[in-house]
Amino acid sequence: MTHTLHRIGKKEGLKSDYVILAMLATGINDKTPDARKKLFRIAEIFNQYNPANIIQKSAWNVSPVITANYTNLETVKQVIQTLNQEDLGVSIVISGIISEIQKIIQDVGLSMHTVHLSLGTFGRKELLPSEKILEITTMCGHHCISPQSIDYYIKLIKNGKISVENAAENLSKPCVCGIFNPARAITLLNKLSENL
Amino acid sequence: MELKVDLCNGCGNCVIVCPVQAIKLVDNKANVSMDLCVECSICSRNAECPVNAIKLKRLRWPRVIRSPFSNVISTHKITGIPGRGTEEMKTNDVTDRFGVDEIGFSIEIGRPGVGTLLSNIELFTTKLANIGVEFEKASPVTALLIDDLGHIKDDVKKERVLSAIIEFKVPKDKVAQVLQVIKNVEKKIDTVFTVGLISQVMKNEIIPILDLLERQGFSAKPNAKVNIGLGRA
Repeated sequence: MTHTLHRIGKKEGLKSDYVILAMLATGINDKTPDARKKLFRIAEIFNQYNPANIIQKSAWNVSPVITANYTNLETVKQVIQTLNQEDLGVSIVISGIISEIQKIIQDVGLSMHTVHLSLGTFGRKELLPSEKILEITTMCGHHCISPQSIDYYIKLIKNGKISVENAAENLSKPCVCGIFNPARAITLLNKLSENL
Repeated sequence: MELKVDLCNGCGNCVIVCPVQAIKLVDNKANVSMDLCVECSICSRNAECPVNAIKLKRLRWPRVIRSPFSNVISTHKITGIPGRGTEEMKTNDVTDRFGVDEIGFSIEIGRPGVGTLLSNIELFTTKLANIGVEFEKASPVTALLIDDLGHIKDDVKKERVLSAIIEFKVPKDKVAQVLQVIKNVEKKIDTVFTVGLISQVMKNEIIPILDLLERQGFSAKPNAKVNIGLGRA
């Protein structure tokens, strides 16, 4: 499940895009009587800090992973501080600019345990849509958002038939994991519709 | 999936949401290429078809294999979790799946959003098996392997999926050989693929594999996944 890796974008854009994920280890700490309660508590903590997106509430009690998306590094730091204080023993993974993550976890008194680095995309790259489109579609790591839906919404925005906010919200719907960042999508859609 | 053409009113909603462009409007009716369709069910969930023309039907072998590799809410029997991958490094602070002298790899064929035939898996796995990599036992791709030589089941090779992730680990001294396989396959594959590399971080916050990557002509993107060590058994 590498779905929060390989988000495409310039460093400046990626600085407003962080995903936090919580997961228990199968067969090790996922079957304790309070395992589900811990994940639910983490979902509550994620929600308390006004995420840009979060896994749908109906999944908080059943999903093996809890995910949320934030646009602000300071908020990520506050979430991690709270998780560190509550000491629930659940694995936490932050996806985003690695140098920025390193700084904030050091501030909290933590350090990086393991990293999953992206070496990028290879092969027949001519089959891909433009990088501007990929900046939006790769925010859903399972690729549930089609490139042509971006074109569709850009035309509607340009013709005044939908607000950019509503377009971003509609685009986020196929991403059931709650890791698509609608706030970053608004910025990207604005740029794309200006250039149309 | 099945699209009831006689019900279709030509609104085009399904054409817009299909991530692999398997649906086109022909004579103002939605027409699905069953070869291109990866059974992700995104049209069924998100097109809001006004005439309920999109039906999910029970899939037979081998077409049924498309679903766990494409449908995000389809839970694979092997992994027990939705999606195409595994726990990999996300719980490494608890499992130590990737030890200090090991490097993990995730090669996701078909990503981002292009899709792949499952036959492309063998381009990598037959070469990786030669190196002696340790394939992740809980991976849906590993479940398709039929021998130690990296071959997969013949009857699934023509199935098209949104992506398939080959997950494995190697001792650090074999990383250069894996990177060479990636370079070689890139020249002959008919789709795209992404590569991820997993490493524990040293106590001095150094990621030792970065130097080797650079020497081999690879570089890490600025954004990554970081396990921050809060898990415990």
